[in-house]
Amino acid sequence: MKFSKFSALGAVVLGLATVASAAEYPDRPINMIIPFGAGGATDISARTIAEPLGNAVGKPLIMANVTGAGGATGSVAAMNAKPDGYTMVFTRVGSHSVNPAMKATLPYTLDDFRYVTVYEINPFACAVAADSDINSMDDLVAKAREGGVSFSSSGVGSGLHLGGVMVMDAFGIEDPVNQVTHIPMDGGGAAATAVLAGTATFLCTNSSALASFVANGQLKPLMVTTAEPVVGFDAPTAADLGKPELEQLVGWTGIAGPKDLPDDIAAKWGEWMQAAANDEEFVSRMEAVGSIINVMSPEEANDFIRGQYSTFKALVDRLGMRIEG
Amino acid sequence: MNFLDNIAAGLSLVGNLEAFAALFLGVLIGTIAGAIPGMSATMAVALTLPFTFSMEAITAILLLLGVYKGGIFGGSIPAILIKTPGTPASSATVLDGYPMAEKGQAGKALGMALWASCTADLISNLALILFAGWLASFALNFGPPEFFTLILFSLTIIAGVSGNSLLRGALSAMLGLLLATVGLDLVYGTNRFTFGDPNLMGGLNFIAVLIGLFAIPEVLSMVWEPKPHVGKTRSLGKNSVTFAEYRRCFKSIVRGSFIGVFLGSIPGIGAAPAAFLSYSEARRKSPVKENFGKGELEGVAASEAGNNGVAGATLIPLLALGIPGDVITAIIIGAFMVHGLQPGPMMFILNVDIIYGLFIGLIVSSVFLLMIGSVAIRGFKYVADIPRGVLFPGVLVLCIYGVFAVNNNIFDVGVMFVMGWVGFVMLRNDIPAAPFLIAFILGPLLENNFRQAMLMSGNSPDILFRGPITWFFWALTLLTMVAIVRAGIRATKDLKKKNI
Repeated sequence: MKFSKFSALGAVVLGLATVASAAEYPDRPINMIIPFGAGGATDISARTIAEPLGNAVGKPLIMANVTGAGGATGSVAAMNAKPDGYTMVFTRVGSHSVNPAMKATLPYTLDDFRYVTVYEINPFACAVAADSDINSMDDLVAKAREGGVSFSSSGVGSGLHLGGVMVMDAFGIEDPVNQVTHIPMDGGGAAATAVLAGTATFLCTNSSALASFVANGQLKPLMVTTAEPVVGFDAPTAADLGKPELEQLVGWTGIAGPKDLPDDIAAKWGEWMQAAANDEEFVSRMEAVGSIINVMSPEEANDFIRGQYSTFKALVDRLGMRIEG
Repeated sequence: MNFLDNIAAGLSLVGNLEAFAALFLGVLIGTIAGAIPGMSATMAVALTLPFTFSMEAITAILLLLGVYKGGIFGGSIPAILIKTPGTPASSATVLDGYPMAEKGQAGKALGMALWASCTADLISNLALILFAGWLASFALNFGPPEFFTLILFSLTIIAGVSGNSLLRGALSAMLGLLLATVGLDLVYGTNRFTFGDPNLMGGLNFIAVLIGLFAIPEVLSMVWEPKPHVGKTRSLGKNSVTFAEYRRCFKSIVRGSFIGVFLGSIPGIGAAPAAFLSYSEARRKSPVKENFGKGELEGVAASEAGNNGVAGATLIPLLALGIPGDVITAIIIGAFMVHGLQPGPMMFILNVDIIYGLFIGLIVSSVFLLMIGSVAIRGFKYVADIPRGVLFPGVLVLCIYGVFAVNNNIFDVGVMFVMGWVGFVMLRNDIPAAPFLIAFILGPLLENNFRQAMLMSGNSPDILFRGPITWFFWALTLLTMVAIVRAGIRATKDLKKKNI
């Protein structure tokens, strides 16, 4: 039903476009690739911005989930698309800064994309099960020194994987890769469940993924990585604990196109995003799930992503976490 | 507040036309979407989600739940009529549903699918309302070692769906396990059998494998030997299920529903294994075992009871713990959060009216499913009347469209055709496809849970025997293995006697 509607709309738009002067971008619907599955943080974020963004663009946005391999399949599809601005991809911390930093054989690098914006930041938070005897980061670190501490993640090369190691490293655990056991699970939901069920000791993930567990008293937050405290999380910030460098550890969602995307198209996306982010309904919906809306221009987005990447890359190289093969 | 107050509060919340209309619309959308091959229940729910943002919380969630339930039932329609499961959950329905359609009993198979679905749905909803707390705390006892033993036990289903030759079934299962290893290694993150192709990094798409294995070989057979089918149409047959038939299958339906409830309340397993497990249990208990796989009504009933039994039960971890059990409930959790609700234990205290509103809505949804389902059957069953020369090209087009739509990736269509040829060769050599599929679903779960358990214990196998749940499944596995070996020995003896 939805598809026939879309194609009918597409046909009408195409028909109009051929009549009108062809030059002005965009003159037809834009394909937006969501490289993660339905229901995930990226998907919800993308589908929430679709409406205000579509209004700003003035042409329909066709959302398509192209999933697999931690976002790599969809990202490759966008990388190989024509750089005409009609195929764009939603980028995410895992697929566009952690995984490129960790996986040697990833079929793309940051240079294969032109980042037009980052519009959403999710603070990271670390948490343990509510019935755990660990009550602070100090307890956790002390326990980790003894050994037998594990953390769950949504998979190898995800933000959760790197986050767990980065936090342990910042708190002075030597050789955190071997001292603390990483238990990869199948997706973010399973990672949180693993801590609830006692499979893993702690996890560090987007505060939005933990919010309901914290509100329900099932998980105990130990730390958040933003400069400001996060509403609903009774936990100190990384800076309070003297580790401001952990503020690099945040989740984000953005939009990118293939690397040869022309400047004028990138600039247009910058304008559209500004307009879309002014939509009150969009902002309130995203804030309801714990996100911070902060639209970056194409230049800011590029600097932000590369900055995060180089921090992660340095850590990966120092700890020997690079995945060859 | 006591129980009656809660119900009253819930009623006042859903007791309006809007809520029921949303539920009705949801079941309708779901049934239609589920009936389109490749358009799974998951996609239907995901596509509906953005439309619910502006609704009242309870209306929005009822709409999504309606789509979910309708979608799971709708998937059985193409599974029976054209051997193409509309959703992965209905792949077990193909085993007996399609042979029934071949025999001219499409109407009967569809009717039984509907009655079994609605019964299982009702049982599942009641289980949610009555045992949510208890089942949820039980589900949290499932860590990787428990999962491993459960999946190991589930693999013994293969013996039940292997047909005449266990060896051929095992061969098929090995092939499924092998292909399930393609993709990224869970623990090391390295590429396995990807041959440098990024498309293979995500593994073989499940729907593409499913449709390739079941539907395409039929089309190929038709092309291979077109003559026997020329002009032949399958008659619809008696289009209703008699009460006597329903009563005959009732035991299997109830058993299947409970299997569904049990597996559904444990996050991370999903509806397809439940349907297969229920099917194999029904076959094991049946006095006419040999009819299974050749068009046995009870097989359809058991499969559909198994997968619909999951639908209500997946809400148990969702509401009681805030844990999504599968992709669909993950989307529904998103809908809760957009409306400022946080599923979990606190919701039973803070938003108890919504919880009871949902319960009432769920019970009503079973009735809606029955109504919409019977209308849908009446419409769709004429598909069985279309001459094969017209139907099969149409099926092929639907398959290609459906597989492409899952992931918007043309590579998946290629996977479907390659699997179609594999399935065709298997069909010609009497190698059953069902064990392949079960192994393909369960293989990664088995491997991942085993490796997670090993990570937990620092490579000590003791953890696989860490509690009563693991012991229970080890015992079940052992018993089933003994039964299979004994049945094999007996069959050989009988064969020898006949030869003498």
